[in-house]
Amino acid sequence: MTLDALRAAHPGFEGEVRVLVHGGTCGHAVGVAPHGGFLRQSAGDACAEAACDGACWAAPAATVLRPGHSHRFARLDETGVEPLLTCLAGSCDARADDRGEREHRGGLMSRLGRTDGTLAGALAAGAYEAAARALAMAPAEVIDAVEAMELTGRGGAHFPTGQKWCFATGGEPPVLVVNAEEGEPGVFKDRHMLEGDPHRVIEGMLIAAHATGATDACVYINGQARRARAAFEHALAEAAEAGILGGDALGAAVALTIEVRSGAGGYVCGEETVILNSIEGQRPVPRFKPPQITEAGLFGRPTLLNNVETLAAATLLFDPPAAPPKLVPLSGAVARPGLYEVAVDGQATWGSLLEAARGGAHAPPGVGSLLVGGPSGVFVAAEQFDEPLEMAALGAGGLVALAPGGEANVTLELARYNARESCGECTPCREGTVRLVELLEAPSLDRPKLDELIDVITEASLCQLGGMAGRPIASALATFPQAFSNGAAGAAE
Amino acid sequence: MSDQTNEAEADATRPAPPVDAPDVVEALETLPRRRDQLLPALIAAEHALGWLSEAAIEDVSVHTRIPLSEVYATATAYSELRLEPPVEGRWHVCTGVTCRQAGADALLDALAGSGESAEPVDCRFLCALAPVAERGGALFGRCEAQRLIALAVEDGDRS
Ligand SMILES: Cc1cc2nc3c(=O)[nH]c(=O)nc-3n(C[C@H](O)[C@H](O)[C@H](O)COP(=O)(O)O)c2cc1C
Ligand code: SF4
Ligand code: FES
Repeated sequence: MTLDALRAAHPGFEGEVRVLVHGGTCGHAVGVAPHGGFLRQSAGDACAEAACDGACWAAPAATVLRPGHSHRFARLDETGVEPLLTCLAGSCDARADDRGEREHRGGLMSRLGRTDGTLAGALAAGAYEAAARALAMAPAEVIDAVEAMELTGRGGAHFPTGQKWCFATGGEPPVLVVNAEEGEPGVFKDRHMLEGDPHRVIEGMLIAAHATGATDACVYINGQARRARAAFEHALAEAAEAGILGGDALGAAVALTIEVRSGAGGYVCGEETVILNSIEGQRPVPRFKPPQITEAGLFGRPTLLNNVETLAAATLLFDPPAAPPKLVPLSGAVARPGLYEVAVDGQATWGSLLEAARGGAHAPPGVGSLLVGGPSGVFVAAEQFDEPLEMAALGAGGLVALAPGGEANVTLELARYNARESCGECTPCREGTVRLVELLEAPSLDRPKLDELIDVITEASLCQLGGMAGRPIASALATFPQAFSNGAAGAAE
Repeated sequence: MSDQTNEAEADATRPAPPVDAPDVVEALETLPRRRDQLLPALIAAEHALGWLSEAAIEDVSVHTRIPLSEVYATATAYSELRLEPPVEGRWHVCTGVTCRQAGADALLDALAGSGESAEPVDCRFLCALAPVAERGGALFGRCEAQRLIALAVEDGDRS
């Protein structure tokens, strides 16, 4: 079969006008259902449910799509559906679109929540083109292309993806494990991708499997992300039915079996060796390295483990954006919290990202600082907002815009979180994270002791939960020393 | 994902699990008797019963042939698994960084003040719609205390 034949066998919606009601986890949490029901009555078959398109701030929302016209109507709960119905009737001022010029819809988010969630819809929007091309190439060439696009791991550690794929080849075929645990507070990008464009994740998996010779895969999805799992499983079933998985619908035989597993919570459960232990039925604690998991991972087999976004980004390998894209879930003191796609091009700054999300003057009392990377992260002060974004500094991408003055309090909250989430497997973190909290709660700050403890935990912990637990504290002390003059708790009261 | 030797060994002997939670036993029957099914089995048992009772954990141990102590150690390591029966109608209010900044503490106070059962939980990954609360598995975004209390009253009237 060819991609054209596959598309012909799955014709999409034929009409001229489409209304996509953005449901998904976001829409349903703010009561999209009655608006959707009403629109279905008005628009009939033209109306379909889509996932959140990343504009979480706009929910409950719906988008009208006409040839040459794409118009999202935000906050249906406040504005009602009248303006949308006017647009539907054909008379619409496109400039009224709430997206504005700054909202970037690059490669990664181009289909997110923009199709009706069917395979046909995804195919019409370009899904599986990259996989079909990759399958026609030699695996080594695919790895070269991934290396050339300089893709790095979007789970947060930013290890070069092409290099990782290379390490996983050469011996016994690896098992592919997809990290969809996404348990870092403040991060909601992989969920959006699984809900809003699950076929992109499958496509990325096909490319990785072809490049490395993997024939079986396991996708480990956060247990709370029920809609993400359901959407992904629906997409898997469609892909199997269409002969994409287990057939030759993309022009070459694909023999990749995919199992889906649910996690059951815990920040450390997103660490790669914890996932492997969890799947094997062992206690969810990290393993010692070496051996690296590319040598001996799941059930002792060579294992290729990638984050959802990494695999999704691999689908851009034939048409890589000029600057590497990063998904950035942004919440907090901005008028438009949601999922953003940033081109990390050396020009984009923290400030330009905040501006896109209508931070600062748009959202009083303004933004005093950004927390980047949650409980393992750092603070970026307002004075640094015009510094360019760097990929590695973004970690997994989670950003919280903090109102001025809350930093000491947040630092203490993060320290408490790390102490709660420490799995207890190694002493430096089990004991050290609790001591960090005690030191921060003390009426006056014992700086030498704190610095020493941070050094020990950073150096001696088994995994990076402990390894990075001191990071936000050190960053807060360096950036906002005055906030800690009476200890963090003093500021917090 | 499976460890084949483990499966063969487990299938050789199939003792009948304790039957004081028939739904749990039924749910477990759909899963292979293998070590790698430990977390799926714990999740299935919790879905069937609403939480993990001692008997349910024993059922999982018997089904997967993993020692009871190890099943306990694993069950307690996952923050989402419940080893106590859930309180009907309890609100779980997110007190993650974004939600707290958006007023989660006041939300908790208001709920408690009007006689609702409410407890703080960590980030629910819906931060863009802070403050966030959860009840009976359903997520609510941009929460205002009055709306949540009204919802609870509606639900109470219905049941
Ligand atoms: C405490 C901790 C939590 C982590 N959580 C996640 C997570 O939720 N999702 C994820 O993809 N990676 C997470 N990681 C990173 C993974 O260990 C791993 O580096 C990553 O999944 C590799 O995939 P990538 O190369 O595609 O980024 C975590 C690491 C640590 C130390
Ligand atoms: S660093 Fe903390 S979370 Fe990681 S293994 Fe040690 S105790 Fe567990
Ligand atoms: S901080 Fe409340 S949902 Fe993330």
